Formats: sequence, structure tokens, C-alpha cells
Amino acid sequence: MAVRLVLLWAAVGIPLIWGVEKTLENAIKLFQ
Amino acid sequence: MSSFLDRAHTVAPPGYNRFLVPPAALAVHLSIGQAYAFSTFNLPLTKLIGLSKSVPDDWTLKQIAWIFSIAIVCLGLSAAFFGRWVESVGPRKAMFTAALCFSGGFFVSAVGIYTHQLWLLYLGYGVLGGCGLGIGYISPVSTLIKWFPDRPGMATGMAIMGFGGGALIGAPLSTYLMGAFATASSNGVFESFVTMGVLYFVFMMLGVYAVRVPAADWKPAGWTAPVVANRMITKADVHVDVAYKTPQFILLWIVLCMNVTAGIAVLSQASPMIQEMFGSRVTPVAAAGFVGLLSIFNMLGRFFWASMSDYLGRRTTYMIFFLLGILLYATVPTIGRMGSIPLFVAACAVILSMYGGGFATIPAYLRDMFGTMHVGAIHGRLLTAWSAAGVLGPILLAYIREDQIAAGVPKTEAYSLTMYIMCGLLLVGFLANLAMRAVSERHHFRETASAHS
Repeated sequence: MAVRLVLLWAAVGIPLIWGVEKTLENAIKLFQ
Repeated sequence: MSSFLDRAHTVAPPGYNRFLVPPAALAVHLSIGQAYAFSTFNLPLTKLIGLSKSVPDDWTLKQIAWIFSIAIVCLGLSAAFFGRWVESVGPRKAMFTAALCFSGGFFVSAVGIYTHQLWLLYLGYGVLGGCGLGIGYISPVSTLIKWFPDRPGMATGMAIMGFGGGALIGAPLSTYLMGAFATASSNGVFESFVTMGVLYFVFMMLGVYAVRVPAADWKPAGWTAPVVANRMITKADVHVDVAYKTPQFILLWIVLCMNVTAGIAVLSQASPMIQEMFGSRVTPVAAAGFVGLLSIFNMLGRFFWASMSDYLGRRTTYMIFFLLGILLYATVPTIGRMGSIPLFVAACAVILSMYGGGFATIPAYLRDMFGTMHVGAIHGRLLTAWSAAGVLGPILLAYIREDQIAAGVPKTEAYSLTMYIMCGLLLVGFLANLAMRAVSERHHFRETASAHS
């Protein structure tokens, strides 16, 4: 159950973190 | 296949970890949240024939803009019409249907792009995809509320956060795919639509596979329902066909509509607004970064405010949205005159966090008012407020800005009047929330009596 929990959260978390990172890369330009 | 999708086959066995359910809901919401990033396709869709620039046979931006509008209207309508069906068949079948509709919308649209027939995009991404959005949006809500009776705000906030986060994935993903598929004879939009249809179907199926409903008598270990009576949290249930006729439903509709109208107005015009208010100090690239930053706060606000509402109470949380919102909207013109970009960004970020928070807190508010029995279906009908706000907010801001500029108001000041109008809309929402009372007992559902008694 614990492995499944980690895998499921990773499956949704990794794409979300990737998206946040890409968005922040662009957002930083606002303050440059 | 049908038995796998049935509600009876989704009942969780004893000892099932309830934290497996939020990622299932997130898989669906992160996918359908791509709708917020549809604008990344707007310009490429106007250059399907000309490739480097639009030619007379290409579609115009105005024609393309209808695709998103149709999708949002179909979102509200399908959530309202299919809400009861979603409640009856359970989350797995509803999520599967949403996956078919949403990815099917991409495939039909891809055919429309390949054959250059715009009506197929209206029908595909607009109608079919829009139905996927509506069904997908409400499908995990009541399930999460049943799994987390101790923290309903946090649970629905987690899922609805995904809808805000979907744009953060959808925008760079579509840009990446179009770049990867672009050739001398194609700008890669057709291939991107097909790929996204496949990717989102697979991702949503993860949610279909993982979602479970709790057994009827299930409760979190060690948790007992609060014994201290709170008039604003009902222990009874209200039938969906009765709920939408109550004053509470109308008040909540106004509360959601006003909160969304104010937020969506800023979100829809964020890029031109910051460029016009601060002139050459903000480049188009920096303005795009500003929109991205707002999307992050829109997403984080969904989880933060919905979780906070479990402690503050739903009514108090919305009071904060409206009062703080009025204060911030009233301050934005002054901040613009001061020329402070960081202050402007901070004010808009808080506004957008409350916009997202309004979406994420409303299911728990509905549960407090009408009970858990038909909360998903009631939520579906309430989402028509979103459709109304989706038209009202952007039009208000855009038209008033144009009128102001036509009247000779400088561009840096063109948004001031709109901000004060938004304060007025938020005041209406505040008064509606202030008038909220518990649902009368005569509306409560009794199994032995008629549903309408």
C-alpha cells in the first residue's frame, strides 16, 4: 500500500513540479 | 469493462489508505486543467496554412477564441446536467467518461485541423472536450468529501488545486510538442493535438484505476462527528432537486459568481493590464511571466484557502475573500499611480489566490449547507455561476477599458474604473454571504417521504 501511495503521488507530483518550474523560469523575467 | 467501472467495484476494502484517493482526483483535474492553457494554441491555429504568418484562408483569432468559450459554457452545462448521473454511477465511470470526452475532443479537433474545418474544433474541443471538463471536474468531489469528513475543505482543495495546476503543465507541454513536431510543411499543431489526446487519456486512466469510494459505514480511524452543534454545518441531507430551489443555493450562486467574475477579469487581461499600467517597464515576455505567476497563486490558493476554511468556517473564509478583495481592488489604481510593480504583483497574486480559493472552498460550503448525499450534483448545478462569470468578467474589463481609452483616459489609468466596479461586485457577494443561514429543516431529505417534501 505504501509503495502504491508513493507511486501515485509521484505520478501526479512530478508533472506538476515540472510545470511549476517552467512557469517560475518565465516569471523570474518579470523582476529582471 | 462495465463491471470494473461500476460503483460496487470501487468500494474500498477495510484498511484502505484514504490518501490514495486525492492523487486519483488530481490525475483528472491536472488533465482537464489544460483548458486554461488552450490559448497557447491560439496563434499557431491562425497560421495552419501560412505557417510563418496568417494568410487570408487561415482562421482568425476571433474565430479561434470561440473554441475556449464553447468549452467553458459546456463545462458549466454538462456539470449541471450530468451531476445526478455522476452521483448515481460513481466516480470511476464518471472519470472514464470524462477521459473519453476530453481526449476524444483532442482527436476530433485534430481531424478538424488536418482537414481545416473549424466546426470540428468547436464540436471537438468545445462541445465534447467541454463535457469532459464538466464531468471530470465534479466526478471526484463528493467521493473526496466522503473520504475526508474531518477535512472536507482540504480534500476538495487538493483536487481542485489540480485544475489550477493543469495550465502550468499544459502550457509548456503544448509549446514543447509544437516545437518538436514542427516541420517545413507543418507547425506541429495537428500532431500535438493527437499526442495530447493520448497522453491525457492515459493520465486520466490513472485516476480511473486508482479511485475508490469508502464503504457506507466507513469513518476515519479515531474520528467521531463533532458533538457541538454548528448551525451552519448540517447533519441532514438535501435532495438536489430541492436544493437548487432554496435561498441558500441562490446566495451561494451569487457568492461564487461574484468571486469568480472579479478574479477571471484580472486573469483574462493580466498580460495587457500590467503592460499598459507600467508602460515600457514591462516587456511582453515579462508580462507572460506575470500571467504564469498568477496561475501559480491561483493553484496554491485553492489548497491554502480551502484547507483554512476547515478551521475558519466557510462563511468566514468567503468574508475574507470579499473584504480583502475589496481592499485590494480599491488599492490597485493607487499602486499603479505609485508605479510599484512588486506591490502590483503582490496584490494581484493575493486576488488570484482568493479566486482559486473560491472555487476550491465551494464544495465544502455546499456540503455544510446541503449534506453529502447529492453534493456532487448540487456542485454541478452551481458551476453554471462559473459559466456566467466566465462571460461577465472578461467582457466587463475589456469593454470598460476600451470605453475609457475612447473617452481620452490615459492607458495607465484605463483600468481604475473597472477595479472600482469589481469592488461593487465583491460587495454584492459579501452581502449574499452575510445573508447565508442554515437550510430550513422542511427541505431536509427523508427516506420515507417524497424527495420533494
